Amino acid sequence: MNFRILLKSIKFAFRAKKRVFFFIIVYAVLIIWVAKSQAIPALGIPSWIMALIVSTVYAILIAQFRRRDIAILKCLSWRNSEILLLLVGEVVLVSLSAFLLIFQVSVEILGLVAYFEVIGPNTILAIIQDLITVPAVDLGMTMLVIVAFQIPGLLLAQYRAMNIPPMRALREE
Amino acid sequence: MVNPIIRVEEVDKEYGKGKNTVAALKDINLEIAPGEFIAVVGPSGCGKSTLLHVMAGLEQPSSGRILLDGVDVTLISERDLPKVRAEKIGFVFQSFLLIEDLTSYENVEAVLWPSDELKKESQESMALEVLREVDMLERRDHRPSQLSGGEQQRVAIARALVNDPPILFCDEPTGNLDSKTGETIMKMIAKLNREKKMTVVLVTHNEELTKYAKRIIRMRDGAVTSDR
Repeated sequence: MNFRILLKSIKFAFRAKKRVFFFIIVYAVLIIWVAKSQAIPALGIPSWIMALIVSTVYAILIAQFRRRDIAILKCLSWRNSEILLLLVGEVVLVSLSAFLLIFQVSVEILGLVAYFEVIGPNTILAIIQDLITVPAVDLGMTMLVIVAFQIPGLLLAQYRAMNIPPMRALREE
Repeated sequence: MVNPIIRVEEVDKEYGKGKNTVAALKDINLEIAPGEFIAVVGPSGCGKSTLLHVMAGLEQPSSGRILLDGVDVTLISERDLPKVRAEKIGFVFQSFLLIEDLTSYENVEAVLWPSDELKKESQESMALEVLREVDMLERRDHRPSQLSGGEQQRVAIARALVNDPPILFCDEPTGNLDSKTGETIMKMIAKLNREKKMTVVLVTHNEELTKYAKRIIRMRDGAVTSDR
């Protein structure tokens, strides 16, 4: 594996700030739902199915957003396997950032609950804790589940990227 | 003639099927020697860009053979073609084709990222060296959107040169530039041909640019009409 491309792809992904931040929030919400094994409100869909859908859609969306870049890189003699690393980099960045966000928020909320010695289920902090805080073991397990859910999405994204001919970059200009 | 670096043998290229078939290239035969500067000229739609794309392996011909430095690119699999292109070809396009999210330096260096043989330090020094050659070292941290058309094309030239290919394909390299900037770019390409002995294939509809070439190929309706 070419780790240089993987590292560069994470840096590259950071430049697409709006998309990356949006999906970090979406992934963070998904992690909470999946960790708490709740259904998605109103839709009634089990959270793990929703996580599978979102992970797949996101991987496909990256291939779509990066279509021009992929075609240019193919003109510059990049192979499909190297282009896949570019997509993996962004997925890794988003998943890891969402994980760290939930971890940090959970620690902060638990700290506040302990600091203010919140007792009883009906206080605001207790409600927030119940809604957002994810226990460490559940968070770790959920992260593994989300990572596993990325695989079909990335395979689809690779298939889509493979089908982008280098000529597309020239035709679209 | 010395062994040609590019040999095009009985190449046809057709688009579409059945009644809608359009012949973009008809029975093209060419031999290009190492170090030549060739201009392929003709009106819009005559097939000159298609010829360049086919020679570069970006498109497969419908029939015929293309040999780049002795390697038949029509027989190489999609998987192995990038390696051949990386070793033998540099591209300069009309629309620059720079990646918007990368800086000038990263756009140039990106060509080298897939290489397992080159160390990070070598990749960095090679990218900086070619940026210096095209006088863009000062602007290495700028994104394409922060550069003028001429500067973007100079970055594109640096990118084409960074892996030191023997062949440079230029598709209307001055098409998006004003005449003065276009002249600077063409002088740069001519200098590469003269000093580095790079084989340059320039595709253009601009007759003015043929003055830089030592050989001019004229095309019309997918066929070569003159070669001198």
